Amino acid sequence: MSRIERDLNLLEAHIHTFNYRNLRRLDWLLVGLTLALSIAGLFTLYSASQSAAVDAPFFSKYYVKQILFCSLGILMAMLIACMDYRALVSMAPFFYGLAVLLLIAVPLIGFTAMGGQHWLRAYGVGLQPSEFSKVALIYTLAWYLSRYQERIYKIGYFVGALAIAGILILLILIQGDLGTAIVASPLVFVMLFAAGCRRRHILAIVLAGCIIAPLGYFNLDRLPLKDHQRIRIVSFFHPEADPNYAKEAGYQIIQTKIAVGSGQMWGKGFGKGTQTHMRFLPVYHTDFIFALFAEEMGFVGGVILIGLYTLFLLRGLSLARDCPDLAGGLLALGSISVIAFHVLVNIAITLNLLPVTGLPLPFLSYGGSFFVTTMMCVGTVLSVHVRKGFFS
Amino acid sequence: MTGTAQKKRYEGFEGRVTWLAFALLLALAGLCVRLWELQVIEGAQYADQAENNRLMNEPLKSPRGIIYGRDERVVLADNRAANDLVLVPALCSDPQSVIETLSQIIEVNKDALLADIASAEKRKAPWEQIRVKQDISRTELTLVEERSFALPGVYTVARPQRRYYYNQTAGQLLGFINKILPDEWERLRPRYKIDDVTGRAGLEQQYQEVLKGTDGAMIVSRYNGSVPQLKTDERGNPYVETDSKGRALEVEERIEPVPGGSIFTTLDIGLQRECERLLSGMAGAAVVLNAETGEVLAMASSPGYDPSIYVTNSPDRDTLIRTTEGDPSKPSSSRAHEFHYPPGSVFKVLLAIAGLEEGVINEHTTFGCSGKFYLPGVSRPWRCWRLRYGGHGGVGVVDALAYSCDVYFYNVGLKLGPERIKAWSSKLGLGVTTGIDLPREVPGLIPDPERKKRLAIEAKKTEPWYQKWYPGETVNMSIGQGEVVTTPLQNAVLMASVLNGGRRVRPYLNMELGPQVTEPLFSEETLRIVMEGMRKCVARDKPAPTGTGKEAKIEGLDILGKTGTAQVAGLQHVKHYSNEEDIPYELRDHALFVSGVTDRSPRIAVSVIVEHGLHGSSTAAPIARQIYEYFYLKRPDEPGSASVAQPLTIARREAGE
Repeated sequence: MSRIERDLNLLEAHIHTFNYRNLRRLDWLLVGLTLALSIAGLFTLYSASQSAAVDAPFFSKYYVKQILFCSLGILMAMLIACMDYRALVSMAPFFYGLAVLLLIAVPLIGFTAMGGQHWLRAYGVGLQPSEFSKVALIYTLAWYLSRYQERIYKIGYFVGALAIAGILILLILIQGDLGTAIVASPLVFVMLFAAGCRRRHILAIVLAGCIIAPLGYFNLDRLPLKDHQRIRIVSFFHPEADPNYAKEAGYQIIQTKIAVGSGQMWGKGFGKGTQTHMRFLPVYHTDFIFALFAEEMGFVGGVILIGLYTLFLLRGLSLARDCPDLAGGLLALGSISVIAFHVLVNIAITLNLLPVTGLPLPFLSYGGSFFVTTMMCVGTVLSVHVRKGFFS
Repeated sequence: MTGTAQKKRYEGFEGRVTWLAFALLLALAGLCVRLWELQVIEGAQYADQAENNRLMNEPLKSPRGIIYGRDERVVLADNRAANDLVLVPALCSDPQSVIETLSQIIEVNKDALLADIASAEKRKAPWEQIRVKQDISRTELTLVEERSFALPGVYTVARPQRRYYYNQTAGQLLGFINKILPDEWERLRPRYKIDDVTGRAGLEQQYQEVLKGTDGAMIVSRYNGSVPQLKTDERGNPYVETDSKGRALEVEERIEPVPGGSIFTTLDIGLQRECERLLSGMAGAAVVLNAETGEVLAMASSPGYDPSIYVTNSPDRDTLIRTTEGDPSKPSSSRAHEFHYPPGSVFKVLLAIAGLEEGVINEHTTFGCSGKFYLPGVSRPWRCWRLRYGGHGGVGVVDALAYSCDVYFYNVGLKLGPERIKAWSSKLGLGVTTGIDLPREVPGLIPDPERKKRLAIEAKKTEPWYQKWYPGETVNMSIGQGEVVTTPLQNAVLMASVLNGGRRVRPYLNMELGPQVTEPLFSEETLRIVMEGMRKCVARDKPAPTGTGKEAKIEGLDILGKTGTAQVAGLQHVKHYSNEEDIPYELRDHALFVSGVTDRSPRIAVSVIVEHGLHGSSTAAPIARQIYEYFYLKRPDEPGSASVAQPLTIARREAGE
């Protein structure tokens, strides 16, 4: 392909907000890592499905449903990769409004699932609006920060960004989705930091958080938290003090540690994780799927998986760094950060480094909304990369 | 260019993203370190915990050892299969109708069963075995098996249960078994499980460790929160297929149990039954020892009880146990070794041996008996039982034994002194435990001055009369009264040494222990004199006075004997009764008789006591006679007898098996 030809293609890509030819210039390393992680996830879920009831219908098995979700997610990623991200960024305020609307509407018309989050059920498919509001937040922040980049060092614009994020996070919290709120908060700081805010502003907010958090912990009763969340926080710090130790969060912590630890160096082998298959491990197919993976694949498998995540995330960050356009860079950075926080917090919870909150692991955990959201983030990063040559 | 105007990137962007990448790397590395800590450093510990989660130890109970008589033809205690009837709701199409059918053929609690089934369904555990009835009878089993086509999901699970063949006979010697006590279990775990049984009395307790064997185990995989369901095949071997929710389980390892060891006893079950028959209606004991070896051929105690009450499938089990345990006459205790009594004149045998051996008397030493005996400084006399006939006159040691002269032995006792009496008692086995292989043996007591003083000091009684030993106490002691108490078993051991040439035997029930016999403890001369006295005691010589034990006489047998009549209450309580039949039962004297046969093989020593039987001569001696008649003369040719043939097992052992 000659240089002129390529420039022509680029021009085309720029002119058409949607162009399937963009798929030719995808970052294949990132795509490969995404597929590798998704396949690892399918295999892990296949193992998890074995312990479900023997006579469960084929289409109700976790891995079968997850294949559907995967297909849907890949489709979504391709769709976004083909679109011009700038067009999407310019539509960000609309996404934001939609997210706020959904978050307000769902508690009124939705229903509550076991984690305590609200779901919206339409056409037989459950939707978690808090998942999609994460994506809306990334786009809105990218829009806001790139628009006011020159003035972001001023405290007023800084607070404006915080307010945009704060409203959405508060709504997610009210929904009862503590996990998503926990992941969304650092995302805001990462994006603010990369957009060139003053370090002292971020430091001040972080310091304030450090002061407020312990205050919050000692005044747990007065916080607008659900009982099960309160118990989880307390039982992280004092697992033995839990009155329903055997049944509640303390039990989860112990059983998860046993599952991970008993994998030892080489693991128990695929499909042979006893903690999972004999039902000692809670929610092994969603939030604690890393425990199942570590039990069956051992330390070696666990490190390889973390290695895959590391490669994926670093590749994503390098794509973000190399984007000459601020909005694109921030979009890619935000998308990668969301995935990174999910990975870090989920594994840290499984390894008993953080209190238990319902938080899935990207690519591995069972769940449609979450997988599709993750793939939307991946699609965003790819879309940013596809168009980077245009600016050079 | 048609696109929107591009914002120029802020210069620090690349640097800040690089910083974020480093922070991310650090965090991911931290996760790897934690993973290393959990999986590699602490991994083995968690692997153990995971195995504990996954595997369950389903014990395989070892069958309890069998207790035989003298050979395999006599089984005293073995195990039968107790069948528990169970119902699995998942296997019956219509539990309601199954229960209806069941209730038509056997007695079941319909409502309780339906409630159990409902609760199992609610717990999503339809594969749980619901216990319909425990330990069903043979008739019930047959009825259920006949109708099995109409009873889907109903089957039996077998477990071994103790069985005693001879009911009351030798009940106190066999002892009984019952559920382990919580504190006992705390001490014995993990070898014992909380639902184990242990021997609580008799041989069952003494040889608990031998009889128990070693439990095996099935190591079964299990699911969280479910219970493996134990089944038994047609031979009674337990196995596991599913848990209470119907999920298939695997038996990963099966450690077969080691059955408990068998015990062959020295008991001659026919003789034991005869002894118990002779004592029936009275309270008392009869001990028959092989005088040469110390084998316990019979050790009867009346009243008796049946150890089967603890293992019965009768609905009255609890009532039966409560009645037995609450019975004031203590039918479950063996009066032969768990109770002690004053030996009375039986003690004179010991005094005669001690006196002759210590040289304080010889064959020709005589003391005059006027029926009364005075100590210097004591106005009240000690009496001889023949006071109302004017005493025994001048008697030697042979006649003193034969006619049981109290005054003679008052003199012998005073010459010996309490220390020497005690020393000889201990040497010949009175007032000390015999070492029989049964629990709860009491030692009895022979008092002495040192003990009296020690007890007084311990009780802080400083007055001299509490601490000083008085000659009167020695006098009481000389005829087996005062504080002297011995067990009927000890009396039999003393008698055995007279029969076997002065050796002390250790009585035993477990054939395996073998005899344990000392060298002769006194001279042949002493033996000859004492034997002569005891032979004369049983003889029906004329003229009067005749020997006190003449009731035991059997023509053609050389029987030695000594009667004893032990006061229970002081004379002042009973002397106003002119007729002894009027004395209240609990104030009447105990009747004792020790005796033996010298000219038959095996030579046996017999010790009989009848509580409140008034006179050894009239109550106890006839029992001994009937024991000899049964053992030597009327012996039916029945298995397990000590008098007929060599026991099978000893013969086998000698054949070099």
